[in-house]
Amino acid sequence: MLSHESRPDELMNTQVMRLLSGVSVHGDQHLAEVERDLVQMDVLLSEAIKKLCTSFMAIHHAIDLQQETLKGMLSAEKTAPEQAARLEALREEIGRHVGAAVTGLQFQDMTSQLIGRMVQHLAGLRDVFGALGTNGSADLPESGSEEMLAMLSRISDRVGARCTELAGTVRSTVNQRHMESGDIELF
Amino acid sequence: MTKTILAVDDSGSLRQMLSFSLKAAGYGVIEAVDGQDGLNKAKQQTVDLVLTDQNMPGMDGLSLIRALRAMKNYQSVPILMLTTESGDDIKAMGRAAGANGWLVKPFDPARLNEVVKKLIG
Repeated sequence: MLSHESRPDELMNTQVMRLLSGVSVHGDQHLAEVERDLVQMDVLLSEAIKKLCTSFMAIHHAIDLQQETLKGMLSAEKTAPEQAARLEALREEIGRHVGAAVTGLQFQDMTSQLIGRMVQHLAGLRDVFGALGTNGSADLPESGSEEMLAMLSRISDRVGARCTELAGTVRSTVNQRHMESGDIELF
Repeated sequence: MTKTILAVDDSGSLRQMLSFSLKAAGYGVIEAVDGQDGLNKAKQQTVDLVLTDQNMPGMDGLSLIRALRAMKNYQSVPILMLTTESGDDIKAMGRAAGANGWLVKPFDPARLNEVVKKLIG
């Protein structure tokens, strides 16, 4: 709270410091959120690509085995029931690998949510910097520290208001750290 | 008779994965791109189960559940939330809105089908 007895230059310093501090704190908050989401995206993409590679290699291997089994059946080297059981086991194995690939393919949904959040934070940062604008030099007081103090106070209030608005709308919803399938809870 | 599932998610790839997984298990799937689209499609045809995301533009998952539960023909239809969110608070809101279960993304097709089978056969 500013005292009425403070000297104008002290008041000016206080307002300038308040403004700079506000911009620094809010800018830092937005950039920290963007940084957090980038790290999260990197984790998810790496996990997803690893999972997809493993799944597709395993599918390829299982299909090779299936082909060998079919060749064996055609040449009738083994009895049909054994071959049929082998084919059924391979079918199930391929199904499991395809299921794992489907889990990995869901990374796009989660990363797109993170990208959307980052875009909102960057827009918020742009708004904060925009709030610093004075709509041209015409708005700058030519003289008088009272007018300058009032202007600085208004800018600080605008910066604070934009940051409060953004904090209420951008909520983190993607906290997964791996691409293992999620929990299931029936109520 | 084939059971029909309404899959509501704003992500095209997620809807594709859900549809692929559920159809492979023998279910029919109707896709909706957000809560409002889901509500419109649910009004056109009563489905056997609803699977919905939470965070979607326009009408979100919780609002969709509340709207469906207010409809006479959806009071006992199983509704599952499928979302990236796993906080206790939002789960409690889902339960209060009338959801029958909560699935956290990413989903495993086999586990999803097990849950769906348990609820609608």
